[in-house]
This record gives sequence, structure tokens and C-alpha cells, in this order.
Amino acid sequence: MSRRMTRKQKRLAVILGGMSFILVAVLLVMFAFSQSVAYFFMPSDLQKAAVQPGTRIRLGGLVEEGSVKRGAGSTVSFHVTDGGASVPVTYTGILPDLFREGQGVVTEGAFDGSHAFVADSVLAKHDENYMPKEVADGLKKKGVWKEGEGAKP
Amino acid sequence: MIIEIGHYALVLALATGFLLSVLPLMGARRGDAALMAFAPVGSVVQFVLVAFAFGVLTWAYAVSDFSVLNVWDNSHSLMPMIYKVSGVWGNHEGSMLLWLLILTLFSAMVALFGRNLPDTLRATVLSVQAWITVAFLLFILLTSNPFLRLDPAPAEGQDLNPVLQDFGLAIHPPLLYLGYVGFSVCFSFAVAALIEGRIDAAWARWVRPWTLAAWTFLTAGIAMGSYWAYYELGWGGWWFWDPVENASFMPWLAGTALLHSALVMEKREALKIWTVLLAIMTFSLSLLGTFLVRSGVLTSVHAFATDPSRGIFILAILTFFIGGAFVLFAWRAPTLKSGGLFAPISREGALVLNNLILTVSTATVLTGTLYPLVLETLTGEKISVGAPFFNLTFGLLMIPLLLAVPFGPLLAWKRGDLLGALQRLYVAAGLALAAGFGLLYAQSGGPVVAALGLAIGFYLVFGALADLWYRANFGKLSFKVAFARLKGLPRSAFGTALAHLGLGVTVLGIVAVTTFQTEHVVEMRQGETAEAGGYTLLFDGMREAVGPNFTEERGHFTVSRGGVAIADVWSSKRLYTARRMPTTEAGILSFGASQLYVSLGDHMEDGGLVVRIWWKPFILCIWGGAVIMMIGGFVSLSDRRLRVGAPSRRAKLAKVALEPAE
Amino acid sequence: MTLWILLAVITAGVSAVLIWPLMTSARPVEELREDEAAVYRDQLREVDRDRAQGLIGVEEAGYAKAEIGRRLLALADKRADAKGTGGGAASRARHRLAPLSVILCVPLIGLCLYLFLGNPDLPAQPLEARLANPGNNMALLVAKAERHLAEKPDDGAGWDLLAPIYFRAMRLGDAEMAYRNAIRLNGESSERLAGLGETLVASNEGVVTEDARHAFDRAVALDGRNMRARFYAALALEQAGRTDDARRAFEAILKDSPPGAAWISLVSEHIGKNGGAPLAAAPTAPAAAQKAPGNPNAAQVEAMQQLSPQERQQMIAGMVDTLAARLRDDPDNIEGWLRLVRSYMVLGDKAKASDALKAGLKTFPADQEAGRRLLALAKETGLSAEGVTP
Repeated sequence: MSRRMTRKQKRLAVILGGMSFILVAVLLVMFAFSQSVAYFFMPSDLQKAAVQPGTRIRLGGLVEEGSVKRGAGSTVSFHVTDGGASVPVTYTGILPDLFREGQGVVTEGAFDGSHAFVADSVLAKHDENYMPKEVADGLKKKGVWKEGEGAKP
Repeated sequence: MIIEIGHYALVLALATGFLLSVLPLMGARRGDAALMAFAPVGSVVQFVLVAFAFGVLTWAYAVSDFSVLNVWDNSHSLMPMIYKVSGVWGNHEGSMLLWLLILTLFSAMVALFGRNLPDTLRATVLSVQAWITVAFLLFILLTSNPFLRLDPAPAEGQDLNPVLQDFGLAIHPPLLYLGYVGFSVCFSFAVAALIEGRIDAAWARWVRPWTLAAWTFLTAGIAMGSYWAYYELGWGGWWFWDPVENASFMPWLAGTALLHSALVMEKREALKIWTVLLAIMTFSLSLLGTFLVRSGVLTSVHAFATDPSRGIFILAILTFFIGGAFVLFAWRAPTLKSGGLFAPISREGALVLNNLILTVSTATVLTGTLYPLVLETLTGEKISVGAPFFNLTFGLLMIPLLLAVPFGPLLAWKRGDLLGALQRLYVAAGLALAAGFGLLYAQSGGPVVAALGLAIGFYLVFGALADLWYRANFGKLSFKVAFARLKGLPRSAFGTALAHLGLGVTVLGIVAVTTFQTEHVVEMRQGETAEAGGYTLLFDGMREAVGPNFTEERGHFTVSRGGVAIADVWSSKRLYTARRMPTTEAGILSFGASQLYVSLGDHMEDGGLVVRIWWKPFILCIWGGAVIMMIGGFVSLSDRRLRVGAPSRRAKLAKVALEPAE
Repeated sequence: MTLWILLAVITAGVSAVLIWPLMTSARPVEELREDEAAVYRDQLREVDRDRAQGLIGVEEAGYAKAEIGRRLLALADKRADAKGTGGGAASRARHRLAPLSVILCVPLIGLCLYLFLGNPDLPAQPLEARLANPGNNMALLVAKAERHLAEKPDDGAGWDLLAPIYFRAMRLGDAEMAYRNAIRLNGESSERLAGLGETLVASNEGVVTEDARHAFDRAVALDGRNMRARFYAALALEQAGRTDDARRAFEAILKDSPPGAAWISLVSEHIGKNGGAPLAAAPTAPAAAQKAPGNPNAAQVEAMQQLSPQERQQMIAGMVDTLAARLRDDPDNIEGWLRLVRSYMVLGDKAKASDALKAGLKTFPADQEAGRRLLALAKETGLSAEGVTP
């Protein structure tokens, strides 16, 4: 009888161990979400929402025409726009092959103290006709990218 | 005309699939041998039809028949033949046809190699396989038909996406699909077991070779994909925790768990229900992966042109199979009897721990992958879950698993001796710590955590060797006797040791590269030099070159060490003319397991060039470890015990010989 | 016909193979579980082997063998149970139904779905065979010339031939390359230079760029009677705002032109724009507009240059809308459609470009020369022709 009890206790211990492992994992996931999730913004969203300097976000939009300037070394600065607002971005490194003015990009990084966005990654895609999904949705919503009507002279 | 015959063959395969999904199942329920005998014949016929259709499409690509829309869209008459052929699966329609081909191939293999399965089980398994086949055939014929025609035919094709014109990507999808789709067999076995309402140790034995084969191919496919991303994207990264990568990684994690739980079931008839559930989950994750890749619901660096309407079809398939299987599971699983008991400290206990950690990790990766999608659907908020999330959660969860790996094989079944195992491992652990700190010192410093990470890698390698060492009893017996014992060990023991060792090598590579790699972004003009990893790179200037369907600017670098020139590196920027699409071809130079990686950036206004140079120490260990795991898989697969479930003349003879004794 | 015979043969063959297992005599289900027994017996042997090698202890081996033995016993019980049940008349009835389902299902599903999806009339068309016998398919002839030039890139005459064809097909990048190659290999000629210039103007939406102007000047220097080059050179002056020079140049063209030349009205219109007196006898503007519909006229071009980029964009969009409206009323204008599709692509409005492409293809089906030009343009600009072609 006592043998059976110990077996039951052992089983209980195993189950408790498993549950606590899962609990730890869940807490870990929640902690990681709070730490490392980057929200996606378009330039005009940033006027409404205050993003603290240093908070990692993703900034998406079109590379503004005529805004790309190569600075010292491999630092590049450009503006990301969604038609409504425009945010200056600096990036040090090699830009993707398909990075072009007027094309969609998604950059990831944070604002420094002086309202400039310092990106540590810039994404443009494999496909030439590609528009990052978030950017396409955002532009459609803002009416910059209209499918129905054309602009009047 | 041949094209139309290929198209017709695909349609006939669908007709066969309909029959195959019903007749054998009826036969199995009613005990009708003729109906059950229909299953293997039908499966082979179906495979032949699909293979013929696939062959026809390949032929159309090889001869550039632009009257086929799919060929026109994805091929070019001037492409090298290998990319013409790989172009078949370098696009949505063709890759789905490849998926189907492999699915029917597995069905045909179950039909041919499964002669020793009970007739009812084999018939049911093949019927379930046929359901999947029918779903994908409908998907292909109705939404992604590669045999649509163009009339009149254009004179030249649109070219294959340049990033796909690469040898690595030519063989990556077939390997990956062999893995993904291989798990369909496990799924079908699980569903068949639920339908039959009975499952036992023999079932696990029959499922194991299929799991092992799928796992091995998936390992190869993932490693290949990671290496491709490393050298083709020109970012120097080898894993991005990108949704598409996660999509292939989740079935691998679940499949690894399945591999281990099937072992427990085979030996001890324990974990039955869990194993069935895991088999269903693994294939569900494979389907989910296909859905994520094909529907474009998630942004990814690997995603090419996608079409949401197809996504809805795949979503329907996904819902039907996953939902259906789970409903069946909920209904039938309680009728399955649970099996053997075991102590927490035992081989079974270790494997349960393995399963617990692997499934929790899979769930973590799944959460991170799908959370942005779910959040956006619910609240409209857009977030991205990137590498930091996965590194933190997955990385931490893996540590206890990695520490436990060497214990598993050293513990006995039913009740193990933890102290004994510890005694056998402390030498390995000590050596590993020494090696970890030694390497850190040799690489002139780094955080202590890195030394511990390296030590875990070494510990896995030494632990795997220790397992073989103690099995052969090298310490106690004379070398000759021990060596003879080593040779006599079952191949699965070597398979296990190799797989665990390979894991260690991969861990070593990952930790080493993350800790010791150096990155230099420099502007260079002709004649200037840069330093990386103790090597000096002299930029000799750019040259123009022309390929069959691209033009390129190649930068030439002379690599020297201590003033002596030892190698050349070419790194280039290509422009593929048909699509006017630029790509970066990194220049990579291997020194042992380490690599020098040079990728070109933009031209500066003053005539200089931005060049990015990485020194990646021990990076080849990452994929080398995967290759060792793969070899382990194949060695295990060749173990004679697994062939009892599969055909083997010897086993058959044995069966015949033993029959009169019954 | 051959196709149908072959399809019938394949259908019959597949059905026959599928019926074969169903027709073999309905043997009763024999020993269902012998295969499992084989697995357990193998497990027993394995335990013995491990024991013999000393890999597991005596006690452990004993437990394992007992467990496997229990599995074998359970199996024997089940087998005894299963003996009771067996197929009877019901299964024989199903036997007649099953082959029937095969005979019905395979040809029915096969043919119906194939007729719905397939293109039985289309032969296979490997490119090599088509190139060997191109007939008068323009695209194939071009492809053939391209292949010839890919092998012998130094054949200047080939480039000479191909360049205007590219230009007419609006493959401007290729046309520019072909003109440049022809000039490099065969030397400059007034025709080649004018062609190159015109290509450059077309690829810059009607603006005479510095490069183009240079080409026209060289062309005029080589042959003063090259009216095309002189016209564009004058247009360059007009766009640069040098009205007087432009007017003088246009007037000179008019003077040197033979009476009744096609361009007289266009030139005269430009003279008017630059403050001169247009030729009284000249037919009015519509003729010119017909010749190059949608081309911005000089005044518009000039106005455009003074606008901010945004306003310019708007103005272009406005002109494109006008063109679209005109084409709606009078769709029989292939140049107009080509221009409309191009303009939408330049404006980055892929959806509209695709709509325009489809609308254009309605008037000019894809199997005609004009329609093919539309398709070629779509291809060149990367616009998908999916859904447009069968």
C-alpha cells in the first residue's frame, strides 16, 4: 500500500515539475514579449503617438524622393514618408539591393534624443514589385496609394 | 500534345485518389481483402501518374515551351539547364506539384515497403494518405494549375527570380518537402490508429522509420536553407527567426519529439496517446508551414510573389485536416489503453523531459510566429516579433534540454541510475568546461557566458562519445575486445550518438560565431586594405563581367596573412537583365571551419566603395553539425531492427520459418 | 485526334490496372496480426542479444522479456476474438460494386475535369522547334535575331535591324542598347543617331535630354537633311525655353521639307507655339495629335518644367486621365493604349496600368500584332499579364 502511495507521489511530483516548467516558459514568453516586441508605425502615426527615444519600433513607408544622402563612411540618411508626414532616418551599413527612392521600406531601430530615427536594419524585399505588406496596408488606409481614382490636375 | 497528356495524368491521379480514399477504408472496416488490396495498387498508380505529370512539366521547362504559362512566367531560354530544371519548383505551381509528387511517393513507398504491415492498417493508412493527396490535387488543379497554356506562345520567358538561380536553392525545396511531407505518413498512421481504435508497441516500430526518414530530410532541408540565406542574401546572417524559417523549424522540433516518444512507445508501450497526438501535431505544423509560406499572410525575407486567394484554399485544407484529426483524437483517444509504468529517473523519464521541453519550445516559436498575426486581426495593432524574442525564450528553454541530452542514452529503461550516469559524465563535463575556457582564451577573450555556451557544445560531443565508450566498455576491457564490442553495437546506437554529437557541433558553431565574429564596414578605394580576423584584404578594383543572363561588377580582393598573399576573393553585384533585378553575391573564403565573408555595398560619391567584411570563426560547424545529425539519421535508418516493419527478405523468411511454431 | 486516342488508351490502362486487385478472388482475411508478432519476436531476440553482449543486466532483461511476452499473449487473445467475424455475402456484393465504381469514376472524373481545364487543341511548342520555323511571328523573329546576336554580338547589321523593331515594340531599354551597339560596330550614321535620340526621348517621357540632344546634333551634322533629327533638335531648344531659336529652327525645317510631308502640320504647330506664324495652309492640330496621341505638346512640357515636383506629378496624372478618357471614347488607337499603360506604370499605379492593359487587349486581341505589342510592353514594365491570356 505504501509502495503505491510513493508511486502516486512520484507521479504527482513529475506532473508538478512539468507544470512548473510550462509556467516558467509562459512567464518567459510574456517577459520576452514585453521586452523585445517592436511596434509598427507609419510616419504620420508618430505625430499622434509619442514614442519615447530609445524604444525599439519598426518604421515603414516610402523612401522619399530626393531624400537619400550618403554621409561619411557607410552612413546613409534618408526620409521615410507616407504622404502625410516624413521622418528622417540614419542607417549605417549596406542597404539592400532593392533599396530605392520612391520604394517601400521597413526600418527597425529607435529614436535618439534629437528626433532622428537611427535604424539598425533596413528591409526591402527580393521581389522588385514587392511592397512590404504593412506599408501597403498603411498607404492604402492613408489614401496615398489609391486604386480607384486618379489625381486631378 | 505531351503537355496535355501530362495534364490529363494529373486529372486521372485525382480520380484514382477519390477511389483510394474510399475503397480501402471500406475494405478495412468490413474485412474485405480485395478492397484492401486496392490500396497499394492504387497508390502506386497514383504515384506513376503524378510522376509522369511532373516529368512532363520538367520537360516543358527543359525545352522552354513557352506555350505553358508557368514556364513562360518562370523560365528563360538562356538559363543554364540546371536552373531550367530547378525552375520547375522555383515557383508556386511547380513547388506544389513537387509537394504532391513527394506525397504520392511516400504513399507508394508505404505500399511497397509496408508489406509486413497488417492489411487493415496499411489499407487505412493509404486511404488517409489519399485524402491528403486529393485535397492537394484539387488545390493544384483548381487554383494553381501548372499546365495552363498560352496561345499564341510568347517568344521568350520572364526569367526565374534571380535569387532562386542558385544551386543551393535548386536542391533546398526537394529536401525540405521530403521532410515536411514525410511526416504525412506519421499523420496517416496516427489517424489510422485512431480509426482502428487500437495502437501498440508494433505500431511505434512501424512509424519510426518514416519519422526518422522525414526528420533526416528535414534536417538537411533546414540546414541547406540556412546556408543559402547565409551566402545568397549577402547579410552574413544564417538564421533570422523569420516566419518561413520558423515554419520549417517547428515541424522539426515536433518531429524530434516524435522520434523520441515513438522510442518509448516501441520499447515500453507507454506514452501512446501522447505519441499519436504528437504525430498529428507534427504534420499539422508542416501544413501550417506550407500555408504560411504560400499564402503570404506573414511578411518574410523568403516570401516571393504570393496570392491570398490560394491561402484561403490552403487554410481550408489546414482546418479540415488539423481540425478533423483533433476531433477524431478527442473522440477516439480515450479508448486507447495506456501502457507501461516507469520511474521518473529512467530512460523513459529522460525522453519525457525531452518531449516536454521540445513541445514547449515549439509552442514558444509558434506563439512568436503567430502572435503578430493574431494581434493584428484582433486589435489592428502591428507589431513584429524579432530575433531578440526567440533568442531569449527559445535559447533559455534549450539549455536544460542540452544539459539533459547526454543523460538519456546512459539511463536504463524503467528505472535508471542517475548517480551512475553522473559518474560516467563528470569526465566529459570537466573536459568540456576546460575546452570551453581554453577556446575562449585562444580567441583572446570574451564573456564567461560564452565559455559556458561553448562548454555545453563540447559536453554534448564528449557525452555522445562517452555513451559509445561505456557501451563498448573501453575502460574495463582490453582495447581489442572493446573494439569488437563497439563494432557489434546496433547501428541505432551509433545513430543516436552521431545525432547528439552533431547537435553539439552545431551548438559550438552557433556560440562561437555569435561570440567571436567581427564585422567591419569600410569604405575602400582601389589599392586600399582592410583587416579582418587576422587577415589583410587588398582591394584590387572592380571588373565588369557578363554571365548567361546577367551582367555583374566584380570586386577583387587579395587576402594575405603576415604579408604573404594566400588567396583571392571575388565579391560581386549582379544585375539580372530580364527582370532588371540586382543581387549581391558575397565572396566567401573558408579557412578550416571559419570563413571570411565579403559583401559589396554602394558606390561612394568620391569613387570609393562600401565593403562589408565579416570574420566568422567556426561558422561551418553550424551546418557541419547538421550534416552529422543527418548521417546519424541515415545510420539509424539502416539499423536492421527498423526493417522488421519494412520489407526485408530475412524478416519475411523468419516469419515463414516461425509460422509453424505458432 | 491522336491525342484523344492516347487519352482513351491511358484511361483504359489505368482503369484496368485499378480493377485488377478487385477482380482477384476474394480470399478471406487471413492472420491479421502475424506481422505484429514478428515485431515482438524480433524484440525478444534483441533483448537476448543485448543481454549476451552485456549491454543490459539479467534482471532488466527478464523484465523486458516478460513485458514482450505479455504483448504476444495479448495478441493471441485478440486473434482468437477476430476469428469469429469474417466477410460473407455482403462483401461479395460489394465486389461487384467496386469494379463498377472504378469503371465509372476514372473516365468520368478524368474526362469531365480535363475538358473543363485542358487545352486539347494546343500542341507542345518547344522553343528550338519554333525558332527553326518561325513563320512570320514577329516576336519569334526578334527572339531568333536576339539569339543570333547573343552568339555573334559583333554583327552590326543585326543590331541595325533589331533596333527600330525594339523601338516600335516600346522595348526602349533594348532599343537603346541596340542603337548603341550598331553605332559602336558600324560607326555613326545620321539614321542611327536619330534613332538613338528618339529612343532616349521616348524613355524620358518626351523630354529631350542632354544625351539625346547630343545625338540629334551629331545626326544633323552628319546629314543636314535628316528632318527627324532636326525636329527633335528644335524641340530641345523649345524645351530649354529658347523660343526664338526654336522658332527659327522649326521654320528652317518647314522650308527644307518637301511639300505634303507628313510632319508639316506638327512643325507648323510648334512654330505657332514659339510665337511665329503657323503655315496658313497647314492642316490643323488634330492630325498631329492623331499621329502621336497623348504626347504632351510643347506648351504643356514647358509649363511642366516650371512646376514643383508635386505639381508636375499632378499635371502628368491629369494628362493621363485625359488620355484615358479619349481612349474610352475611341479605343481604336494602339499607340494611345501603349502610352496609357506606360504612363500608369511610370506613375506607379499598377492596378490602373493593368486595367488599361486589359481594356487595350479587348480592342487589340493578344493574337494580333498590336495586342502583342501591348503584351510586350506589359512584360517589359513588369506588369503581370495574368488573367489576360488564357
